[in-house]
Amino acid sequence: MSSAIQTSTAQDALLRAGIDRSLRHPVMFFLTSGAAWLAVSIVLGIIASAKVHSPEFLAGCSYLSYGRVFPAHINALVYGWGFQAAFAVIIWMMARLSRKECTAAGLILTAGHIWNLGVILGLVGILSGNGTGMPWMEFPFFTWPVLLFSYFAILIWSFIQFRVRPEGHVYISQWYLLGAMVWFPWIFITANTLLHCIPGHPVMAAGINAWYKSALIFLFFTPVALGTAYYLAPKVTGHPVYSYSLAKLGFWSLAIIAPWAGMQKLAGAPIPYFLPYVGAAATVLLFVPAIAAAINLLRTTLASPEVVAGSPALRFTIAGIGGLMLLAFSAVVLNLPDSTLPLTQFSLSGYGFEILALYGFFSFVMFGAVYFIVPRVTRREWLSRRLIKIHFLFSVYGIITVALVALFGGLQQGIGQEEWQQPWQGAATRAYPYAVATTIAWCFILFSNVFFFIHLTLMWLRLGRRSSHPTLLVSAHGHGPSPHGEEGDIDNAGPGHMPAH
Amino acid sequence: MSLRTFILGLSASFGVAWLAVVVVPFIKMRNLAPIELSEATDGSTGIFFPKRTGRVADGAQVYAENGCYLCHTQLVRPTYAGNDLYRSDWGGLKADPDRGDTRRETNAYDFFGEKFAHIGVSRMGPDLSNLGRRVETEYAAGGDAEQWLFTHLYNPRQDPQRWKSTCPPHKFLFDKRKVTGNPSDTALSFGKEGDTELVPSSEAKALVSYLLSLKKDQPVPASLNFAPAKAKTAP
Repeated sequence: MSSAIQTSTAQDALLRAGIDRSLRHPVMFFLTSGAAWLAVSIVLGIIASAKVHSPEFLAGCSYLSYGRVFPAHINALVYGWGFQAAFAVIIWMMARLSRKECTAAGLILTAGHIWNLGVILGLVGILSGNGTGMPWMEFPFFTWPVLLFSYFAILIWSFIQFRVRPEGHVYISQWYLLGAMVWFPWIFITANTLLHCIPGHPVMAAGINAWYKSALIFLFFTPVALGTAYYLAPKVTGHPVYSYSLAKLGFWSLAIIAPWAGMQKLAGAPIPYFLPYVGAAATVLLFVPAIAAAINLLRTTLASPEVVAGSPALRFTIAGIGGLMLLAFSAVVLNLPDSTLPLTQFSLSGYGFEILALYGFFSFVMFGAVYFIVPRVTRREWLSRRLIKIHFLFSVYGIITVALVALFGGLQQGIGQEEWQQPWQGAATRAYPYAVATTIAWCFILFSNVFFFIHLTLMWLRLGRRSSHPTLLVSAHGHGPSPHGEEGDIDNAGPGHMPAH
Repeated sequence: MSLRTFILGLSASFGVAWLAVVVVPFIKMRNLAPIELSEATDGSTGIFFPKRTGRVADGAQVYAENGCYLCHTQLVRPTYAGNDLYRSDWGGLKADPDRGDTRRETNAYDFFGEKFAHIGVSRMGPDLSNLGRRVETEYAAGGDAEQWLFTHLYNPRQDPQRWKSTCPPHKFLFDKRKVTGNPSDTALSFGKEGDTELVPSSEAKALVSYLLSLKKDQPVPASLNFAPAKAKTAP
């Protein structure tokens, strides 16, 4: 009996090791190039943010004028880092959860290079003054078929793996990942055809653009991050997900509510009157799926505080869930028509909200996944607990600053904008200190991510620790024997020697 | 739940919203009916068509490429959505020398000639819906409106009163060149150095022409006029 179980765990471990090996290069390629784009985006973000309060900073160069650097910054963040992190996580998790090795690593790698080429061309296009002027879609329009084509070439395999998986349970993570994989091309094709290919009404085009931004956040980045969190939380703690029905409620409420959100950014614009109101209502209602998922994940993880304290993956994931709750809270506070929406519609809080979603929530969960996945695909452990801690702390400080700017700076600026008896300069004066705070926050985030990028690159070069002991944030010294037994060389221990941690 | 029902569920929940907020409004707005003017209410007949003159299409492109929409909006919101209309020079002019109070909210016919309405995402700077009107009657009153805009684009803080402006300079839209023969009549007044002058590039000219075309204060037909009735009858 016990030997039968041992054989099956050994086979499982072999299968897992096989999957990890088959995906080593695609996953590491997406993660390292994503992290490099993240660093590029943050540098551009600092430049752009500094220009908001010091307009003569680097003013001599047309490539670095604010109107070009800012779109380059946000597009690098979305398409360079966000999507590539999502690709890495999706292909790895779908393979693991469907229990299938990846057979198309070469193709995925090629498509990944094409995706990066698209991003490079797009950014050069923006910086050289050929942007389209549509927020989050500023890449010159020839890049979108390139991105779409490589998207399909990268993710179609995960879909196939899911189709041919051995019969069995469909995990909550898989709902979210499949959702994201189906919704994104739909959103992307819709927005790009309606804005670039079919001439429509210019104001409606702006409305669709606002919808696209919101849909990308809530129907791609959010489900990818939640799918990842639903994978990591039970896996690392060893406890099942707290409530299955709460997870169902969270998923389907997201699927039903999120596609309506976005057009509240056009409140008062000449588009059909119901659109901004529906958008505002949906954005406020997104509180429901966000809190359902957050409660579920927190109940799952916080039951084992000692694991949370030690595991870098969980610490980042829980910080990301904190970001999600803050995001849901700001979605309610910033989007109430007749009270806060007129104040925040055209203020700093729009940008703050996007950064909170992309970095405070999505990226944190992705970092959690990186700290979990990379040791498995490289079969090396993270070099330094301190590097991970620096990454965590400075990212948290940075993002908290951005969130405060989003909530209070935007409202302050909006109050100034609405004071119509006062000169316009008043609104700009109110925004000024918050603009300075944003620059400082980006400097913190840059500092933390330089260390992350170096650490990750060393891991891809397989310069990580050859150890059977995971790198935990809390030292085991003085706390009795390690739960992982005596420390040994990972290649001597062999696959399956240690249980998943 | 089988994969098929699951995908159907995903498509249904997304598809309903997709049709209702994106596709159907897009098609409806695409075929926006022209508004016929009537003699009784509008004082004229024909079709409502706010005319715009200037290099609207290529100027809008320069506007987009240089990210003006990041800090400037082009939307005067109705009073239910914000206080833009109360400002004395945003929705038109509170005291136009010829027409009195011309302020009005932005309507769907204001963006003809543009592919994408630059509604904007943030207001670090003021709304530009009526920038052309504002420059001609206020900023450059009695002077050359084009020259004022060129100067502003070259250095937004050129006017000492605007030292607090955080608008980025766009010096790369201007060329320094040697004067041969007569100096250019669009050259910047302060840009002369020896025998060189600063002249706006073709892009700067297109942008300024576009900015001067931003005069969204024409009288609107009765069906689009939401101003309170007393504003018209007041002396």
